[in-house]
Amino acid sequence: MAVLQWIQDLPISAAIAESDSLWWGYAWWLFVHAVGMGLTAGIGFIVCLRLLGVGRQIPLSSLRVLFPLFWVGFYVNLVSGTLLFMTDATGIARVWELYAKLVCLVLALVAMSRLRRFVDSTDGDAMIPPSIQKTAVACLVLWLAVITSGRLIAYAVEARGAVA
Amino acid sequence: MLTPSHLVHLHLLLNHFPTVGMIVGLGLFLLALLKKSEDLKRGALAVFFAIALISLPTYMSGYSAQRSLRGVRTVSQDVINFHQRSALLALIFMETTGIVAWYGLWYSRTRASMGPRITAAAVLLSAVTIGLMASAANVGSEIRHPEILTDPKTPISTEGILAPRWLASEFITKYQYSHPWAWKSLETIHFMGLCLLFGVVVVANLRLLGWMRNAPLEGFHRLLPWGVWGFVANSVTGMLFFIGQAFQYIENPAFHLKMLCILVAGADVLYLTWHEEVWQIKAGATASALVKVLAASQIVLWIGVIYFGRMLPYIGNAF
Repeated sequence: MAVLQWIQDLPISAAIAESDSLWWGYAWWLFVHAVGMGLTAGIGFIVCLRLLGVGRQIPLSSLRVLFPLFWVGFYVNLVSGTLLFMTDATGIARVWELYAKLVCLVLALVAMSRLRRFVDSTDGDAMIPPSIQKTAVACLVLWLAVITSGRLIAYAVEARGAVA
Repeated sequence: MLTPSHLVHLHLLLNHFPTVGMIVGLGLFLLALLKKSEDLKRGALAVFFAIALISLPTYMSGYSAQRSLRGVRTVSQDVINFHQRSALLALIFMETTGIVAWYGLWYSRTRASMGPRITAAAVLLSAVTIGLMASAANVGSEIRHPEILTDPKTPISTEGILAPRWLASEFITKYQYSHPWAWKSLETIHFMGLCLLFGVVVVANLRLLGWMRNAPLEGFHRLLPWGVWGFVANSVTGMLFFIGQAFQYIENPAFHLKMLCILVAGADVLYLTWHEEVWQIKAGATASALVKVLAASQIVLWIGVIYFGRMLPYIGNAF
Protein backbone atom coordinates (compact mmCIF):
# COMPACT_ATOMS: atom_id res chain seq x y z
CA MET A 1 0.00 0.00 0.00
CA ALA A 2 1.42 3.28 -1.15
CA VAL A 3 -0.10 5.31 1.71
CA LEU A 4 1.53 3.10 4.34
CA GLN A 5 4.87 3.37 2.59
CA TRP A 6 4.44 7.15 2.42
CA ILE A 7 3.70 7.30 6.18
CA GLN A 8 6.71 5.18 6.92
CA ASP A 9 8.94 7.37 4.76
CA LEU A 10 7.88 10.62 6.44
CA PRO A 11 10.90 12.33 8.02
CA ILE A 12 9.41 12.03 11.54
CA SER A 13 8.79 8.26 11.20
CA ALA A 14 12.28 7.62 9.91
CA ALA A 15 13.80 9.87 12.59
CA ILE A 16 12.09 7.94 15.41
CA ALA A 17 12.77 4.53 13.87
CA GLU A 18 16.46 5.22 13.37
CA SER A 19 17.13 7.18 16.55
CA ASP A 20 19.22 5.44 19.20
CA SER A 21 18.52 8.30 21.60
CA LEU A 22 16.93 7.39 24.92
CA TRP A 23 15.12 10.73 24.69
CA TRP A 24 12.56 11.04 21.89
CA GLY A 25 13.86 7.96 20.08
CA TYR A 26 12.01 4.67 19.56
CA ALA A 27 12.81 3.43 23.11
CA TRP A 28 11.41 6.61 24.63
CA TRP A 29 8.06 6.22 22.86
CA LEU A 30 7.85 2.57 23.91
CA PHE A 31 8.29 3.72 27.52
CA VAL A 32 5.66 6.47 27.13
CA HIS A 33 3.29 3.90 25.63
CA ALA A 34 3.82 1.59 28.66
CA VAL A 35 3.08 4.36 31.18
CA GLY A 36 0.02 5.41 29.17
CA MET A 37 -1.12 1.78 29.19
CA GLY A 38 -0.68 1.66 32.98
CA LEU A 39 -2.80 4.81 33.39
CA THR A 40 -5.54 3.88 30.93
CA ALA A 41 -6.02 0.18 31.71
CA GLY A 42 -5.00 0.68 35.37
CA ILE A 43 -7.67 3.31 36.02
CA GLY A 44 -10.10 1.24 33.94
CA PHE A 45 -9.44 -1.71 36.29
CA ILE A 46 -9.94 0.42 39.43
CA VAL A 47 -13.25 1.89 38.21
CA CYS A 48 -14.54 -1.58 37.27
CA LEU A 49 -13.40 -3.11 40.58
CA ARG A 50 -15.13 -0.37 42.58
CA LEU A 51 -18.35 -0.89 40.61
CA LEU A 52 -18.07 -4.62 41.35
CA GLY A 53 -17.90 -3.91 45.08
CA VAL A 54 -14.19 -3.55 45.97
CA GLY A 55 -13.54 -0.57 48.28
CA ARG A 56 -17.20 0.22 48.97
CA GLN A 57 -16.15 3.02 51.32
CA ILE A 58 -15.00 5.06 48.32
CA PRO A 59 -18.05 7.17 47.32
CA LEU A 60 -18.95 6.62 43.67
CA SER A 61 -18.77 10.39 43.17
CA SER A 62 -15.03 10.23 43.99
CA LEU A 63 -14.50 8.15 40.86
CA ARG A 64 -15.44 11.15 38.72
CA VAL A 65 -12.01 12.79 38.95
CA LEU A 66 -10.42 9.57 37.68
CA PHE A 67 -12.02 9.85 34.24
CA PRO A 68 -10.05 12.92 33.11
CA LEU A 69 -6.87 11.10 34.16
CA PHE A 70 -8.04 8.07 32.20
CA TRP A 71 -8.40 10.27 29.12
CA VAL A 72 -4.93 11.74 29.67
CA GLY A 73 -3.58 8.18 29.54
CA PHE A 74 -5.67 7.45 26.46
CA TYR A 75 -4.43 10.49 24.51
CA VAL A 76 -0.82 9.85 25.56
CA ASN A 77 -1.20 6.39 24.03
CA LEU A 78 -3.04 7.62 20.98
CA VAL A 79 -0.03 9.87 20.20
CA SER A 80 2.71 7.40 21.23
CA GLY A 81 0.89 4.49 19.57
CA THR A 82 0.48 6.43 16.32
CA LEU A 83 4.18 7.37 16.32
CA LEU A 84 5.20 3.75 16.98
CA PHE A 85 2.91 2.63 14.14
CA MET A 86 4.43 5.20 11.76
CA THR A 87 7.94 3.81 12.26
CA ASP A 88 6.88 0.51 10.65
CA ALA A 89 3.48 1.19 9.08
CA THR A 90 3.84 -1.40 6.29
CA GLY A 91 4.85 -4.14 8.73
CA ILE A 92 2.32 -3.43 11.50
CA ALA A 93 -0.65 -2.94 9.14
CA ARG A 94 -0.11 -6.49 7.89
CA VAL A 95 -0.82 -8.28 11.20
CA TRP A 96 -4.41 -9.06 12.27
CA GLU A 97 -3.50 -8.48 15.93
CA LEU A 98 -3.50 -4.73 15.25
CA TYR A 99 -7.14 -4.79 14.09
CA ALA A 100 -8.15 -7.06 17.00
CA LYS A 101 -6.61 -4.53 19.37
CA LEU A 102 -8.38 -1.56 17.76
CA VAL A 103 -11.77 -3.33 17.87
CA CYS A 104 -11.32 -4.29 21.55
CA LEU A 105 -10.16 -0.75 22.31
CA VAL A 106 -13.26 0.84 20.75
CA LEU A 107 -15.52 -1.59 22.65
CA ALA A 108 -13.63 -0.88 25.92
CA LEU A 109 -14.13 2.87 25.37
CA VAL A 110 -17.86 2.34 24.77
CA ALA A 111 -18.06 0.34 28.02
CA MET A 112 -16.08 3.01 29.90
CA SER A 113 -18.41 5.78 28.71
CA ARG A 114 -21.39 3.76 29.86
CA LEU A 115 -19.78 3.38 33.31
CA ARG A 116 -18.99 7.09 33.34
CA ARG A 117 -22.60 8.05 32.60
CA PHE A 118 -23.68 5.89 35.55
CA VAL A 119 -21.06 7.38 37.90
CA ASP A 120 -22.00 10.92 36.85
CA SER A 121 -25.73 10.34 37.31
CA THR A 122 -25.60 8.63 40.70
CA ASP A 123 -25.32 10.50 43.97
CA GLY A 124 -24.24 8.92 47.23
CA ASP A 125 -24.02 5.17 47.42
CA ALA A 126 -26.97 3.88 45.50
CA MET A 127 -27.15 0.20 44.65
CA ILE A 128 -25.17 -0.66 41.55
CA PRO A 129 -27.63 -2.16 39.03
CA PRO A 130 -26.76 -5.59 37.57
CA SER A 131 -26.54 -4.14 34.06
CA ILE A 132 -23.74 -1.81 35.19
CA GLN A 133 -21.99 -4.70 36.94
CA LYS A 134 -22.16 -6.73 33.74
CA THR A 135 -20.72 -3.80 31.80
CA ALA A 136 -17.90 -3.56 34.38
CA VAL A 137 -17.03 -7.25 33.92
CA ALA A 138 -17.09 -6.86 30.12
CA CYS A 139 -14.94 -3.75 30.44
CA LEU A 140 -12.31 -5.62 32.55
CA VAL A 141 -12.17 -8.43 30.00
CA LEU A 142 -11.89 -5.94 27.12
CA TRP A 143 -8.93 -4.14 28.75
CA LEU A 144 -7.20 -7.50 29.23
CA ALA A 145 -7.86 -8.23 25.54
CA VAL A 146 -6.43 -4.83 24.50
CA ILE A 147 -3.24 -5.51 26.52
CA THR A 148 -2.91 -9.05 25.12
CA SER A 149 -3.45 -8.13 21.46
CA GLY A 150 -1.17 -5.10 21.84
CA ARG A 151 1.60 -7.27 23.26
CA LEU A 152 1.12 -9.82 20.46
CA ILE A 153 1.49 -7.16 17.72
CA ALA A 154 5.21 -6.91 18.52
CA TYR A 155 5.74 -10.68 18.20
CA ALA A 156 3.58 -10.98 15.08
CA VAL A 157 5.45 -8.18 13.27
CA GLU A 158 8.76 -9.84 14.21
CA ALA A 159 7.59 -13.23 12.90
CA ARG A 160 6.15 -11.87 9.62
CA GLY A 161 9.26 -9.77 9.13
CA ALA A 162 11.43 -12.88 9.36
CA VAL A 163 9.35 -14.66 6.69
CA ALA A 164 9.28 -11.72 4.25
CA MET B 1 27.65 1.16 37.90
CA LEU B 2 27.85 -2.24 39.52
CA THR B 3 30.61 -4.37 38.04
CA PRO B 4 30.54 -8.20 38.13
CA SER B 5 33.00 -8.02 41.02
CA HIS B 6 30.64 -5.77 43.01
CA LEU B 7 27.85 -8.25 42.39
CA VAL B 8 29.91 -11.16 43.72
CA HIS B 9 30.72 -9.14 46.84
CA LEU B 10 27.05 -8.27 47.15
CA HIS B 11 26.18 -11.97 47.04
CA LEU B 12 28.70 -12.79 49.75
CA LEU B 13 27.39 -9.95 51.90
CA LEU B 14 23.66 -10.50 51.39
CA ASN B 15 23.67 -14.28 51.64
CA HIS B 16 23.70 -14.10 55.44
CA PHE B 17 20.52 -12.06 55.67
CA PRO B 18 17.84 -14.59 54.65
CA THR B 19 18.78 -17.30 57.18
CA VAL B 20 19.74 -15.02 60.06
CA GLY B 21 16.93 -12.52 59.40
CA MET B 22 14.27 -15.21 59.25
CA ILE B 23 15.51 -16.79 62.51
CA VAL B 24 15.23 -13.37 64.20
CA GLY B 25 11.76 -12.87 62.65
CA LEU B 26 10.46 -16.28 63.73
CA GLY B 27 11.94 -15.75 67.21
CA LEU B 28 10.06 -12.46 67.49
CA PHE B 29 6.89 -14.09 66.22
CA LEU B 30 7.07 -16.93 68.78
CA LEU B 31 7.80 -14.42 71.55
CA ALA B 32 4.74 -12.44 70.41
CA LEU B 33 2.59 -15.59 70.63
CA LEU B 34 3.92 -16.24 74.13
CA LYS B 35 3.30 -12.65 75.26
CA LYS B 36 0.04 -12.47 73.28
CA SER B 37 1.24 -9.22 71.75
CA GLU B 38 -0.34 -8.30 68.41
CA ASP B 39 2.10 -5.40 67.99
CA LEU B 40 5.11 -7.66 68.32
CA LYS B 41 3.50 -10.07 65.85
CA ARG B 42 3.16 -7.25 63.36
CA GLY B 43 6.81 -6.39 63.98
CA ALA B 44 7.80 -9.96 63.16
CA LEU B 45 5.74 -9.84 59.95
CA ALA B 46 7.50 -6.61 58.96
CA VAL B 47 10.84 -8.44 59.42
CA PHE B 48 9.62 -11.30 57.17
CA PHE B 49 8.55 -8.81 54.50
CA ALA B 50 11.87 -6.94 54.61
CA ILE B 51 13.89 -10.16 54.39
CA ALA B 52 11.74 -11.31 51.46
CA LEU B 53 12.74 -8.10 49.64
CA ILE B 54 16.45 -8.54 50.44
CA SER B 55 16.32 -12.18 49.30
CA LEU B 56 15.63 -11.09 45.70
CA PRO B 57 19.05 -9.44 45.08
CA THR B 58 20.65 -12.21 47.17
CA TYR B 59 19.40 -14.86 44.77
CA MET B 60 20.05 -12.82 41.63
CA SER B 61 23.64 -11.84 42.47
CA GLY B 62 24.37 -15.56 42.82
CA TYR B 63 24.52 -15.76 39.02
CA SER B 64 27.46 -13.35 38.99
CA ALA B 65 29.19 -15.39 41.69
CA GLN B 66 28.61 -18.50 39.57
CA ARG B 67 30.05 -16.83 36.48
CA SER B 68 33.11 -15.63 38.39
CA LEU B 69 33.89 -19.26 39.29
CA ARG B 70 33.59 -20.56 35.72
CA GLY B 71 36.70 -22.46 34.72
CA VAL B 72 38.11 -22.54 38.27
CA ARG B 73 39.39 -26.11 38.57
CA THR B 74 39.07 -26.54 42.33
CA VAL B 75 35.38 -25.71 42.18
CA SER B 76 32.71 -28.21 41.18
CA GLN B 77 30.04 -26.84 38.82
CA ASP B 78 27.72 -29.61 40.04
CA VAL B 79 27.90 -28.26 43.57
CA ILE B 80 27.15 -24.73 42.27
CA ASN B 81 24.13 -25.98 40.32
CA PHE B 82 22.95 -27.92 43.38
CA HIS B 83 23.30 -24.74 45.46
CA GLN B 84 21.35 -22.76 42.85
CA ARG B 85 18.46 -25.22 42.74
CA SER B 86 18.15 -25.42 46.51
CA ALA B 87 18.40 -21.62 46.75
CA LEU B 88 15.53 -21.26 44.28
CA LEU B 89 13.31 -23.60 46.31
CA ALA B 90 14.18 -21.59 49.43
CA LEU B 91 13.44 -18.35 47.56
CA ILE B 92 9.99 -19.59 46.51
CA PHE B 93 9.13 -20.28 50.16
CA MET B 94 10.75 -17.01 51.25
CA GLU B 95 8.66 -14.92 48.85
CA THR B 96 5.48 -16.80 49.77
CA THR B 97 6.25 -16.00 53.43
CA GLY B 98 6.78 -12.35 52.45
CA ILE B 99 3.38 -12.14 50.73
CA VAL B 100 1.62 -13.84 53.66
CA ALA B 101 3.41 -11.41 55.99
CA TRP B 102 2.19 -8.42 53.98
CA TYR B 103 -1.33 -9.86 53.91
CA GLY B 104 -1.20 -10.37 57.70
CA LEU B 105 -0.12 -6.74 58.23
CA TRP B 106 -2.89 -5.54 55.93
CA TYR B 107 -5.57 -7.84 57.39
CA SER B 108 -4.82 -7.20 61.06
CA ARG B 109 -5.11 -3.41 60.71
CA THR B 110 -8.88 -3.36 61.09
CA ARG B 111 -9.15 -6.36 63.39
CA ALA B 112 -8.22 -7.06 67.00
CA SER B 113 -6.25 -10.16 66.08
CA MET B 114 -4.49 -11.66 63.10
CA GLY B 115 -6.59 -14.82 63.29
CA PRO B 116 -5.40 -18.41 63.55
CA ARG B 117 -4.98 -19.04 59.80
CA ILE B 118 -2.52 -16.25 59.08
CA THR B 119 -0.69 -16.98 62.34
CA ALA B 120 -0.31 -20.67 61.51
CA ALA B 121 0.70 -19.91 57.91
CA ALA B 122 3.34 -17.39 59.04
CA VAL B 123 4.89 -19.81 61.59
CA LEU B 124 4.90 -22.80 59.24
CA LEU B 125 6.15 -20.96 56.17
CA SER B 126 8.88 -19.11 58.02
CA ALA B 127 10.06 -22.30 59.74
CA VAL B 128 10.20 -24.19 56.42
CA THR B 129 11.96 -21.22 54.82
CA ILE B 130 14.63 -21.21 57.53
CA GLY B 131 15.28 -24.90 56.95
CA LEU B 132 15.52 -24.51 53.18
CA MET B 133 17.65 -21.34 53.40
CA ALA B 134 20.03 -22.98 55.86
CA SER B 135 20.35 -26.03 53.64
CA ALA B 136 20.96 -23.85 50.54
CA ALA B 137 23.52 -21.78 52.45
CA ASN B 138 25.21 -24.95 53.66
CA VAL B 139 25.69 -26.21 50.10
CA GLY B 140 26.83 -22.71 49.14
CA SER B 141 29.57 -22.77 51.75
CA GLU B 142 30.86 -26.07 50.36
CA ILE B 143 31.51 -24.45 46.96
CA ARG B 144 34.63 -22.67 48.21
CA HIS B 145 35.38 -24.37 51.53
CA PRO B 146 35.79 -28.10 50.98
CA GLU B 147 38.04 -28.15 54.10
CA ILE B 148 34.98 -27.88 56.36
CA LEU B 149 33.55 -31.19 55.14
CA THR B 150 33.75 -34.06 57.63
CA ASP B 151 35.26 -36.26 54.96
CA PRO B 152 36.75 -34.10 52.19
CA LYS B 153 37.62 -37.20 50.12
CA THR B 154 34.00 -38.24 49.50
CA PRO B 155 32.42 -36.16 46.74
CA ILE B 156 29.59 -33.91 47.89
CA SER B 157 26.17 -35.25 46.97
CA THR B 158 24.60 -33.03 44.33
CA GLU B 159 21.15 -34.56 44.21
CA GLY B 160 18.33 -34.25 46.69
CA ILE B 161 14.64 -33.66 47.06
CA LEU B 162 15.39 -30.17 48.36
CA ALA B 163 16.93 -29.29 44.99
CA PRO B 164 14.66 -30.75 42.31
CA ARG B 165 15.93 -30.91 38.71
CA TRP B 166 13.04 -28.84 37.33
CA LEU B 167 14.27 -25.85 39.31
CA ALA B 168 17.51 -25.79 37.32
CA SER B 169 18.05 -22.66 35.23
CA GLU B 170 18.91 -24.78 32.18
CA PHE B 171 15.63 -26.63 32.50
CA ILE B 172 13.66 -23.36 32.53
CA THR B 173 15.76 -21.90 29.68
CA LYS B 174 15.20 -25.01 27.54
CA TYR B 175 11.48 -24.89 28.22
CA GLN B 176 11.34 -21.26 27.11
CA TYR B 177 13.22 -22.05 23.88
CA SER B 178 11.16 -25.12 23.02
CA HIS B 179 7.82 -23.42 23.77
CA PRO B 180 7.86 -19.97 22.13
CA TRP B 181 4.37 -19.19 23.45
CA ALA B 182 5.69 -19.46 27.01
CA TRP B 183 7.71 -16.23 26.80
CA LYS B 184 4.88 -14.41 24.99
CA SER B 185 2.35 -15.47 27.63
CA LEU B 186 4.65 -14.46 30.47
CA GLU B 187 5.19 -11.03 28.88
CA THR B 188 1.43 -10.56 28.44
CA ILE B 189 0.76 -11.44 32.09
CA HIS B 190 3.64 -9.13 33.08
CA PHE B 191 1.90 -6.23 31.28
CA MET B 192 -1.48 -7.04 32.86
CA GLY B 193 0.13 -7.12 36.31
CA LEU B 194 1.78 -3.79 35.51
CA CYS B 195 -1.61 -2.18 34.80
CA LEU B 196 -3.22 -3.56 37.94
CA LEU B 197 -0.31 -2.54 40.18
CA PHE B 198 0.13 0.87 38.55
CA GLY B 199 -3.61 1.61 38.69
CA VAL B 200 -3.72 0.99 42.46
CA VAL B 201 -0.47 2.92 42.99
CA VAL B 202 -1.71 5.97 41.09
CA VAL B 203 -5.20 6.07 42.58
CA ALA B 204 -4.27 5.39 46.24
CA ASN B 205 -1.32 7.80 46.19
CA LEU B 206 -3.30 10.54 44.45
CA ARG B 207 -5.77 10.33 47.35
CA LEU B 208 -2.87 10.75 49.79
CA LEU B 209 -1.74 13.74 47.74
CA GLY B 210 -5.15 15.37 48.16
CA TRP B 211 -7.27 14.23 45.20
CA MET B 212 -10.71 12.67 45.84
CA ARG B 213 -10.81 14.29 49.26
CA ASN B 214 -14.41 13.29 49.92
CA ALA B 215 -13.36 9.62 50.05
CA PRO B 216 -12.02 8.15 53.32
CA LEU B 217 -8.68 6.32 53.09
CA GLU B 218 -10.43 3.19 54.38
CA GLY B 219 -11.82 2.50 50.89
CA PHE B 220 -8.39 2.69 49.29
CA HIS B 221 -7.08 0.27 51.91
CA ARG B 222 -9.40 -2.34 50.35
CA LEU B 223 -7.78 -1.76 46.97
CA LEU B 224 -4.26 -2.54 48.22
CA PRO B 225 -4.44 -6.36 47.91
CA TRP B 226 -5.31 -5.92 44.22
CA GLY B 227 -2.14 -3.94 43.71
CA VAL B 228 -0.23 -6.63 45.56
CA TRP B 229 -1.72 -9.36 43.35
CA GLY B 230 -0.45 -7.37 40.39
CA PHE B 231 2.98 -7.27 42.03
CA VAL B 232 2.88 -11.02 42.73
CA ALA B 233 1.98 -11.75 39.09
CA ASN B 234 4.89 -9.60 37.97
CA SER B 235 7.37 -11.06 40.46
CA VAL B 236 6.57 -14.60 39.34
CA THR B 237 6.70 -13.80 35.61
CA GLY B 238 9.71 -11.51 36.11
CA MET B 239 11.63 -14.18 38.03
CA LEU B 240 10.88 -16.69 35.24
CA PHE B 241 12.43 -14.26 32.71
CA PHE B 242 15.39 -13.76 35.02
CA ILE B 243 16.01 -17.44 35.77
CA GLY B 244 15.66 -18.41 32.12
CA GLN B 245 17.95 -15.66 30.79
CA ALA B 246 19.91 -14.52 33.86
CA PHE B 247 22.87 -13.13 31.91
CA GLN B 248 20.68 -10.72 29.98
CA TYR B 249 19.86 -9.09 33.27
CA ILE B 250 22.40 -9.59 36.00
CA GLU B 251 25.07 -7.31 34.55
CA ASN B 252 22.60 -4.95 32.87
CA PRO B 253 22.65 -1.42 34.41
CA ALA B 254 18.97 -0.85 33.53
CA PHE B 255 18.13 -3.99 35.51
CA HIS B 256 20.13 -2.80 38.54
CA LEU B 257 18.21 0.49 38.53
CA LYS B 258 14.90 -1.33 38.08
CA MET B 259 15.64 -3.56 41.09
CA LEU B 260 16.74 -0.53 43.12
CA CYS B 261 13.42 1.23 42.38
CA ILE B 262 11.49 -1.95 43.32
CA LEU B 263 13.33 -2.36 46.63
CA VAL B 264 12.89 1.29 47.65
CA ALA B 265 9.23 1.22 46.57
CA GLY B 266 8.83 -2.04 48.56
CA ALA B 267 10.23 -0.39 51.70
CA ASP B 268 7.83 2.50 51.07
CA VAL B 269 4.90 0.05 50.80
CA LEU B 270 5.94 -1.55 54.11
CA TYR B 271 5.97 1.88 55.80
CA LEU B 272 2.59 2.87 54.39
CA THR B 273 1.01 -0.52 55.26
CA TRP B 274 2.42 -0.36 58.77
CA HIS B 275 1.46 3.18 59.71
CA GLU B 276 -2.02 3.27 61.14
CA GLU B 277 -2.47 7.04 60.92
CA VAL B 278 -2.32 6.90 57.11
CA TRP B 279 -5.45 4.75 56.91
CA GLN B 280 -7.37 6.66 59.57
CA ILE B 281 -7.57 9.74 57.35
CA LYS B 282 -11.28 10.50 57.16
CA ALA B 283 -13.31 11.90 54.29
CA GLY B 284 -12.32 15.53 53.75
CA ALA B 285 -9.01 15.26 55.65
CA THR B 286 -5.50 15.37 54.14
CA ALA B 287 -2.31 13.45 54.86
CA SER B 288 0.79 14.75 56.67
CA ALA B 289 3.67 16.24 54.70
CA LEU B 290 5.83 13.10 55.21
CA VAL B 291 3.08 10.83 53.89
CA LYS B 292 2.64 13.14 50.89
CA VAL B 293 6.34 12.91 50.10
CA LEU B 294 6.14 9.11 50.34
CA ALA B 295 3.04 9.05 48.14
CA ALA B 296 4.72 11.18 45.47
CA SER B 297 7.86 9.03 45.67
CA GLN B 298 5.74 5.89 45.18
CA ILE B 299 4.38 7.20 41.88
CA VAL B 300 7.85 8.29 40.71
CA LEU B 301 9.46 4.99 41.76
CA TRP B 302 6.92 2.81 39.91
CA ILE B 303 7.28 4.96 36.79
CA GLY B 304 11.03 4.36 37.26
CA VAL B 305 10.39 0.60 37.40
CA ILE B 306 8.49 0.83 34.09
CA TYR B 307 11.18 3.05 32.56
CA PHE B 308 14.12 0.82 33.42
CA GLY B 309 12.12 -2.30 32.56
CA ARG B 310 11.36 -0.91 29.12
CA MET B 311 15.01 0.19 28.73
CA LEU B 312 16.44 -3.30 29.44
CA PRO B 313 17.24 -3.84 25.72
CA TYR B 314 18.27 -0.24 25.05
CA ILE B 315 20.49 0.76 27.99
CA GLY B 316 21.56 -2.81 28.60
CA ASN B 317 21.81 -5.96 26.54
CA ALA B 318 18.47 -7.74 27.03
CA PHE B 319 16.27 -8.62 24.08
